Amino acid sequence: MMKHNFKKLLKAGWTNFRRNSYISVAVTGVMALVLMLLLGLISFQFLTARLVTSIQEKVDISTYFKIETPEDQILSVKKDLEKLPEVKSVAYVSRDQAQAEFKARHADNQLIQEALQQLENPFEATLNIRAQDPTKYEGIATFLENSKYRASMDKINYNENRAVIDKINSFASGLRLWGLIVTLVIAIIAMLITFNTIRLTIYNQKQEIEIMRLVGASNWHIRGPYLAEGAIYGFFAAVLSLVLFYPIVYLVSGKLGSFISDVDLFRYFLVNSWQIVLITLVVGILLGTLSSVIAIRKHLKI
Amino acid sequence: MIEFKNVKKIYEPNDIVLDDVSLTIKKGEFVSLVGLSGAGKSTLMRLLTHELRPTSGKIIVDGLDLDEIHDKDVPYFRRKFGTIYQDFKLLSHKTAFENVAFAMEVSDATPEEIARDVPQILSIVGLADKAPNFPQQLSGGEQQRLAIARAMIHRPKILLADEPTGNLDLVNSYDVVKLLLKINEFGTTVVLATHDTNIVNTIGRRVITMDKGKVIRDQLEAGRYII
Repeated sequence: MMKHNFKKLLKAGWTNFRRNSYISVAVTGVMALVLMLLLGLISFQFLTARLVTSIQEKVDISTYFKIETPEDQILSVKKDLEKLPEVKSVAYVSRDQAQAEFKARHADNQLIQEALQQLENPFEATLNIRAQDPTKYEGIATFLENSKYRASMDKINYNENRAVIDKINSFASGLRLWGLIVTLVIAIIAMLITFNTIRLTIYNQKQEIEIMRLVGASNWHIRGPYLAEGAIYGFFAAVLSLVLFYPIVYLVSGKLGSFISDVDLFRYFLVNSWQIVLITLVVGILLGTLSSVIAIRKHLKI
Repeated sequence: MIEFKNVKKIYEPNDIVLDDVSLTIKKGEFVSLVGLSGAGKSTLMRLLTHELRPTSGKIIVDGLDLDEIHDKDVPYFRRKFGTIYQDFKLLSHKTAFENVAFAMEVSDATPEEIARDVPQILSIVGLADKAPNFPQQLSGGEQQRLAIARAMIHRPKILLADEPTGNLDLVNSYDVVKLLLKINEFGTTVVLATHDTNIVNTIGRRVITMDKGKVIRDQLEAGRYII
């Protein structure tokens, strides 16, 4: 019975959709634009998240050990650090390594090469520490300050980098916050546009609804086909927006790579394609149906 | 079947459209409700179908006090009536068949019943070959006959006709009146609101005359339209 009714409802909705083809196409078009806005927001969220991580990945702190510090002491500090939950990774750069890297970097500078020949290795060993999350650097810095080997450490560069780290953190959280606000505002606008469009089409049929009521139709009899029609608008809008959006992403994706390194938007849309298709369909159908529910409520007063 | 007790209807702020109307209509009667435009005929009809609520007084239909009808029961209550209007009030996006079928669907008829009854009633009103047409593709007379078919399909106890001939020529008007009389013969109570003198005088049944919201004359038999 349930299934039978559902089929009947969809059929009635489809009949309405077909017979008002002019309006149906217009509403579907508007809703497809709204859903493309939504897909745009998904891309925007993805890109800002990527931007934030790629900036944050550049942040770390280093601690320099005095030249005479024995290596096993440094390694024990490394071990202690790695036990901390907020630490993501610790990289040890020995004095020899540091010198080799420096030499390699200045291979074409004769003067530096010669000067290094004359000296005993002037480089200090370092531990480069990367946190799980850039707000945790302060805690790691404090841990190092209180270490029993503090005396062997020449300096901890957190204090020097602090201003930069704080700035990056506030930029990242600002970007996240604004991304969220923009997303919310646009989502609300999108809902209002859909709602008003559907409201206008239903308003057009005010008289029909009035007649149905006079014939003794219950609210469900009147509402049902309109809800189905709303769902059908949503379904077609979702399909249309996806068909349009994927080629656009494909075209834009290449160009984006030059702004933000190692970001492949199209790949993201391909890898997550079934989720994106599902989200778009669900949002489209829900938006269409809910808008119809709200829009028709006004006309159903006895 | 229908009873009005001291019914008063005032449109805000102080436009009195029905003033202390009391009348009784028995089961199976054919009543012509006459009067000039603005006499209160349509308001009386709309009070009956519970589209409007009286400002004061009591209305009883088929033993039901309209004051006591719950909002959610109004659709069921309306199925007691068949209604016909001057402007037909057909569903423009539905075919002739679907317009009639809709009235059956809302009273939960099965698809089999619909497939059986709709063609039958369409042929009674002479529209058997117009089933797939939309209302815009029908003439005025055809549209009104379709409206009558829709009004009758669920075998209502009461048929309300509000100026059903207002938009029709003489020949079509008489067709409509003949259908109404036929329906009445099968036992349905008919209330016909009209200002068409010829039609009222031809029918020659009970005539209730209204003027400025009051019942000024009630001729129980062989009534005539006199103003």
